[in-house]
Amino acid sequence: MPMKPYWKQVRRFSQGICLLIFLFLFRQTDYSGTDTIPYAVNLFFRLDTLVLAVVTLAMKTFVSLLWPAFIIIALTLVFGRVFCSWVCPLGTSIDLSDRFIKPRLKREPDLKFLKYGVLTILLMSSAFGVQFLGFADPFSLLVRGLAFSLDPMMNYLISGFFDTVYTHAPAFVSDLTEPLYQGLKAFFLPYKQSFFHLAGLSLCILTGIFLLEFLGRRFWCRNLCPLGGLLALISKFSILKRIPLKSCSHCRLCESGCRMMAFDDNSRFQPEECNLCMDCLEFCPDGITTFRFSLPRPRPFVDITRRQMVVAGLAGLALPVLTRTQAVSQLPHDNIIRPPGARDEIEFSALCVRCGECMKVCINNALQPLFLEKGIEGMFTPVLVPRMGYCEFNCTLCSGVCPTGALEKLTLEQKHGFVLGRAYFDKNKCMVYVREKSCIVCEEHCPVHDKAIKFDEKTVQRADGTSILLKQPHVVEALCIGCGICEYVCPVEGAAAIRVFGKDERRS
Amino acid sequence: MDRREFLKQVALWSAGAVMSPPMFDLLSPAGAAEIDMPEILTIKGRDLPAMVRSMTEALGGMGAFVKTGDKVVIKPNIGWDRTIEQAANTHPLIVFELVRLCLDAGASRVLVFDRTCNEERRCYQNSGMAPALEKIKDKRFRLEYADDRRFVPVTLKNGRVLKEWSFHRDALEADCYINVPKAKHHGLTGLSLGLKNIMGAVGGWRGRLHYDLGPKLADLNTVIRPKLTLIDASRVIVKNGPQGGDPEDVKILDTLIASRDTVAADAYATTLFGRLPKEIEATLEAHQRGLGQMDLDQCRIRRLDA
Repeated sequence: MPMKPYWKQVRRFSQGICLLIFLFLFRQTDYSGTDTIPYAVNLFFRLDTLVLAVVTLAMKTFVSLLWPAFIIIALTLVFGRVFCSWVCPLGTSIDLSDRFIKPRLKREPDLKFLKYGVLTILLMSSAFGVQFLGFADPFSLLVRGLAFSLDPMMNYLISGFFDTVYTHAPAFVSDLTEPLYQGLKAFFLPYKQSFFHLAGLSLCILTGIFLLEFLGRRFWCRNLCPLGGLLALISKFSILKRIPLKSCSHCRLCESGCRMMAFDDNSRFQPEECNLCMDCLEFCPDGITTFRFSLPRPRPFVDITRRQMVVAGLAGLALPVLTRTQAVSQLPHDNIIRPPGARDEIEFSALCVRCGECMKVCINNALQPLFLEKGIEGMFTPVLVPRMGYCEFNCTLCSGVCPTGALEKLTLEQKHGFVLGRAYFDKNKCMVYVREKSCIVCEEHCPVHDKAIKFDEKTVQRADGTSILLKQPHVVEALCIGCGICEYVCPVEGAAAIRVFGKDERRS
Repeated sequence: MDRREFLKQVALWSAGAVMSPPMFDLLSPAGAAEIDMPEILTIKGRDLPAMVRSMTEALGGMGAFVKTGDKVVIKPNIGWDRTIEQAANTHPLIVFELVRLCLDAGASRVLVFDRTCNEERRCYQNSGMAPALEKIKDKRFRLEYADDRRFVPVTLKNGRVLKEWSFHRDALEADCYINVPKAKHHGLTGLSLGLKNIMGAVGGWRGRLHYDLGPKLADLNTVIRPKLTLIDASRVIVKNGPQGGDPEDVKILDTLIASRDTVAADAYATTLFGRLPKEIEATLEAHQRGLGQMDLDQCRIRRLDA
């Protein structure tokens, strides 16, 4: 029996709900008065089957945090690639953008094989020790684009408007705008303005995905998305099937209207490309299109030739080798301060999916994405930048939102003892040594219970012959946890006179 | 500068007549009649709200400080992400009671804020201040984070070291400013008391204030003159100040100190730590500039019964 076209409305409803959940969780990725966030804000990353596959290969072990990904596998085995068209917030956003971006190409080249290529590269390179998921995972790209650029930009614009009105307009105007502003702050805007490295790059990547829509609808999803590719492979075993399997020759409306172009050159339906958007129920003038449960009869091939597959595999092998031959692999990285809870560097790189959650949640905007300081494979991984912000002594939020456990969840007690790095004085810059003025703002702010910064009271002879009693600070290395508050508050212009260095293995 | 002049500048600025940043040219007449024999009240006990009430009553009731329709600013120390037990911040019950008394005295607006050192939401929450003050449902009362937009530059005519710094506008405009510091150890200044508590009402890069902090604190205190200073010495930090963190750093004194003269209150509080007022540079400097009386022999000290 043919299905009713209202299934398309059901699909749209599901998309809307999932997008709202995604945006809600995005906004909730912040301090809310308690040290644990009451929602699973990393949900989409833990549902992400690609994350499960790549991380498992990279770690050579199952990461139990990622169990929700099996829900999506089960869903795909039953219904096929529904995730792409019913759940994925990036897919939904792309669908929404179709109202504004119309495809310009008359005939689009068949590039469906690319997504399998991307997938192969990701899996191969992970299996050989270097994980590049952050460059291709749809949620990583989406969340980073939002967290590093779009959200801060939106807040900058809106707050900028209201702040200007507040400071420059007469009181009766700001009396009108302020309640509106406070309302927006309470329900819509982030708590405070954040600033991120790589904001521009993250925005370019995200907008790039949308600009691809000029080439064809769902261009990213059909041709590039490695998660889509993985789900396509799984959906070959799914039991829900669209019927008929070949577009019937007289109108072919289902074929020409399909956003996923799920028909091959011979008008044969490709179930793994179909994301069950249900549009074709509506196109079919005869009402014969329907979806039905039947046993899987997977076609033995996918849209990638053996040669393409071999090239992708070789590329996946070459990438880890390439990263090992970069000069950065030979240099010490004592300027890289990983967030609290970070596992040792090798495990951390294997687990971190560059999702940006820890940087988004960081209460002091202190965690920033790395650029090429640690090579191409370190890009977008989080580091503490103390001059931007320091690691709040009693805060454990970042380790709580990490979807893969690259940052191990810390209790407050564990956090207090977790060493991020160590602080060292630059006595050529420090006010006390250079200007002979007591300052010790660093000592005042040092949060550890027996302060890691101590001072000696010394009477110092000045150039003019007078003497002065100075409080000269120094770091007790064994007590310092490298939170960076000393570097953050140091009143010296430019680089601070006390600086935190990451755990440099060569020092210990 | 008198009130009329002050309001004129505010009005001019609001009207957009002056496009440059406003300059609050405050010239606070140092001295005043009270300096010779300021009154210091102290009280010991555990029931903080009752102690606050006894002290204000002994000073003539809150009505002596807050007139009907007054705008009140209460400035506690909420600077650190520390709990009540760790004693780095003013005890919230003291502030709670003061807010209540001000509202009862007919204040048209009571604002409580501090510009914090740690992240503000964490400080307000974990100090117990936000949970305690949430219970006050009066519309005239607000607990606010220090709003960056409200800090305005001020020329310090009486400043010895500082010539200009930014201050919180509500603190400048308040009819009654109540200073509610925590008494605690502080590495640089020795002790953090009433004069030091002004740091939470000023803007700018405060790290920059830390060299020559004593004279600079005196400078800042020429601008904001609290009508009442009430020092929380219920639990004090005796080492690892100003944030402590360990129970060992805390000493329970169960004491509150109040005075109209911040310097006198600070001087008395200093003795609780076994130190002399003149050892605290800010106290000495403020005393020498005529901002208050640090010589306890020149003060009337009244010990109240709890």
